[in-house]
Amino acid sequence: MENAAIQTHGLTRRFGALTAVEDVTLSVASGQFFGFLGPNGAGKSTTIKMLTGLLEPSAGSVEILGRPFGASALDLKRQIGVVPEGMALMGRLTATEYLHFVGRMYGLDRHTTNQRTQELLEFMQLADENKKLVTDFSHGMQKKLALAAAVIHGPKVLFLDEPFEGVDAIAAGMLKTMLTGMINRGATIFLTTHVLEIVERLCSHVAIISQGKLVANGSLEDLRAGVASTLPGVEQEQRLTLEEIFLAIVGAGGQQEQAQELTWLT
Amino acid sequence: MANLVGAGGSGQPVAIDAGVLGPLARAQYGAMFRLRWEMFRSGLRSIHGILDLGATGIAWMIYAFFGLLFGTGMGIGTYALVSDAQWRYLPILFWVLCFLWQMIPVMLASYQEQFDLGILLRFPVHFGSYYFLYLVFGLLDVSTVLGAVCCLGMWIGVAVARPALLPWITLALAVFAAFNILLVRAIFAWIERWLRQRKTREILGAVFMILVLSAQLMNPAIYQKRHSGRSHSQQQAQQFEAAKERYKPYLKQANAVQKWLPPGLAAQALRQSVEQNPAAGFVSLGVLGLYGVLVGGILAARLKSEYRGESLSVAPGRAKSATGSRTATGAGVSGKETQDRGAARMLGGSGPIAAVIEKDVRALVRTLPLLYAIGAPLLLVLVFSTVFLKNGATQAPVFPLALPICMVYAQLGFTQVFFNNLGTEGAGIQVYFLSPTPIRTVLLAKNLLHSLLFAVVAMVAGVLAALRLGIPDSAVIAATAAWLVFSLPCNLAAGNIFSLKMPYRVNPGRIARQRGSQANAFLSLLVQLGVLAIGASVFALCWFLERMWLAVPIFLLLAVGAVFVWRRVLDNSDAIANERRDALMATLMKES
Repeated sequence: MENAAIQTHGLTRRFGALTAVEDVTLSVASGQFFGFLGPNGAGKSTTIKMLTGLLEPSAGSVEILGRPFGASALDLKRQIGVVPEGMALMGRLTATEYLHFVGRMYGLDRHTTNQRTQELLEFMQLADENKKLVTDFSHGMQKKLALAAAVIHGPKVLFLDEPFEGVDAIAAGMLKTMLTGMINRGATIFLTTHVLEIVERLCSHVAIISQGKLVANGSLEDLRAGVASTLPGVEQEQRLTLEEIFLAIVGAGGQQEQAQELTWLT
Repeated sequence: MANLVGAGGSGQPVAIDAGVLGPLARAQYGAMFRLRWEMFRSGLRSIHGILDLGATGIAWMIYAFFGLLFGTGMGIGTYALVSDAQWRYLPILFWVLCFLWQMIPVMLASYQEQFDLGILLRFPVHFGSYYFLYLVFGLLDVSTVLGAVCCLGMWIGVAVARPALLPWITLALAVFAAFNILLVRAIFAWIERWLRQRKTREILGAVFMILVLSAQLMNPAIYQKRHSGRSHSQQQAQQFEAAKERYKPYLKQANAVQKWLPPGLAAQALRQSVEQNPAAGFVSLGVLGLYGVLVGGILAARLKSEYRGESLSVAPGRAKSATGSRTATGAGVSGKETQDRGAARMLGGSGPIAAVIEKDVRALVRTLPLLYAIGAPLLLVLVFSTVFLKNGATQAPVFPLALPICMVYAQLGFTQVFFNNLGTEGAGIQVYFLSPTPIRTVLLAKNLLHSLLFAVVAMVAGVLAALRLGIPDSAVIAATAAWLVFSLPCNLAAGNIFSLKMPYRVNPGRIARQRGSQANAFLSLLVQLGVLAIGASVFALCWFLERMWLAVPIFLLLAVGAVFVWRRVLDNSDAIANERRDALMATLMKES
């Protein structure tokens, strides 16, 4: 794909005998809001780690903004922002101190770092928690801070691993607005989340990974049409929800039937 | 707890209100014990778990040794007092036992892993069962086991000295032990409550550290007194006699009060039985029992709060600023922010090196265990300098190489800082791999900060040593400084390699001993010994040749080589970090 912000070819990661991610080839166009879905343990976080240079692939290649990690890794890192699985926070700092630190690690000058820190803390509604150490923050507050840290340097490509987990509805709304604004200004966002409604609302393209393998990839409309054609009794014009598409693709139908058998549940 | 459903036999849950010994409670006790057993077995699946079990076994052997020591001592003491009918001194033994029983868990509180019974609260557990389990799990505490051994020792002591007293000592010790178990659990319940909050946990740790340091500082004080000459000892004996006379009325009052406190009551019951006054003995034991009920009630009140869902794991929120949120444009910058920025500017520019240094300084001042590790050797330099002093003979020359030895000790405090310099990063280690800052820059920043810190500590240690021992020969000062110039890059170079290749997670909020990389600890010790051995050889050679100045150029020459190695290590640090990236992050992000 031309003008691809993220491109992988045969991306594979093995941990001993376990193959966590196998032969994943995908392409995310510049300016796309891309949803990367999968059940627990499917390999989403492992994929994000490989895409952001946190984990060496066992095989395959990754290109971000047309360049592979390697010689240009440091330059690439300036262009990307990440909310990783572990959030990468430093518990013994306050939120302000942490954002100052991250900004300067990305090479921002002190004035810009201070200004953006203030603005992000205000936006994330963390400005009043300035005396608390990060370790004393609630999970949702930590998520918001991790997101602020991921965008402080104005990345062109943003990787978000479960950014909405534990975030309240008001903050989630604000985050969605912020992310949509970034997309409108030309950024690319690669998002993993279990909240399918968010993906359905924000993402133009979706890929689904299951047991380490990419099982679906395309625009929402393409997936909808593809799934509708395979499901008996579903009309082409019937608009399937992403949840229905997801369940059909990862094969969770049997589990729904099993749940029906738990008759002793009131 | 899935098995509980089946406890009723027909798939129906058993009655919830059947009490502490009802079928549901019994099934729950069984499930809890099975859970602990399975947790223990699961722990043995990993090498870490097996090592932990080995370490626990060794710890229990040490406890057993002390238990036998205390138990035997208590037995002999009781035997001696009971056979000589020295009843007025018997309460001392009970007080010692009570003190041991209560103090040990307080001292070990921050060193022990606790099993959180709070997990029970989502199940239909009766409060009585919760209380009962809290007591039962406490029976395996070190303090209770040691206390039980001491009780056994006392019981044997009485049995041998006066077999007729066996029923009374059995009863008295049983009630006294029950009181102590309840008291220790009540104390522990409160300690647990405090330990759940980071700040109080650190304060408790600080208090404990001060106690440890105080204990260490007592030794030189006693040492000085011990060598103060015969005439001084006689003077001391006279002073002791005078003090005894002066405090006699107070001691009598204290004795009258202690009779009505649990240890005094237990001893009194025994004495009253010997004096053929069993009714009074029963009254004493009854009052002791009431103390037990009171303490049990206090424990119940604490546990009831937990049972009702009190959660203290999250620190209480601070009052929000009354001034409301500030504007995003930051038009008005607060005084605190100005101060912060001023402090930051003092640390240098706005580049990543300054950022890492600034971040590490902030984290360090909030990390008590690391501050303790760095600062404690300074206090011990004071202790050692006292040892070097010849008491009572102030004109005698002081050991001339005391200064370098004090410096060596000051450097030991930096072992963890030098050899595991990424250990406190935790999940933050990802920032270094995600940001465009090379690991070389990060390590350079850390090395610069640690060198500066070490320079300050070495200077303070030198001043302390000079104040205590007098200013040493200028050649010794110069040679010591030159040795430091050599040893510092050696330690930093090896430390950078170890930090990348065999790091271990240091949880800065925990006072408890950290699970460290055994290889790191062992090899860092070898490196330090090697650097020390080189230093000692050069010092010894120059001392032998009576040309101490010669050590300076030798050490400086060695320092050039050490700096070269340090730079090579820094240049290779990114390659090492990338090669070890997965393991480094997995290790440092792991919750200890």
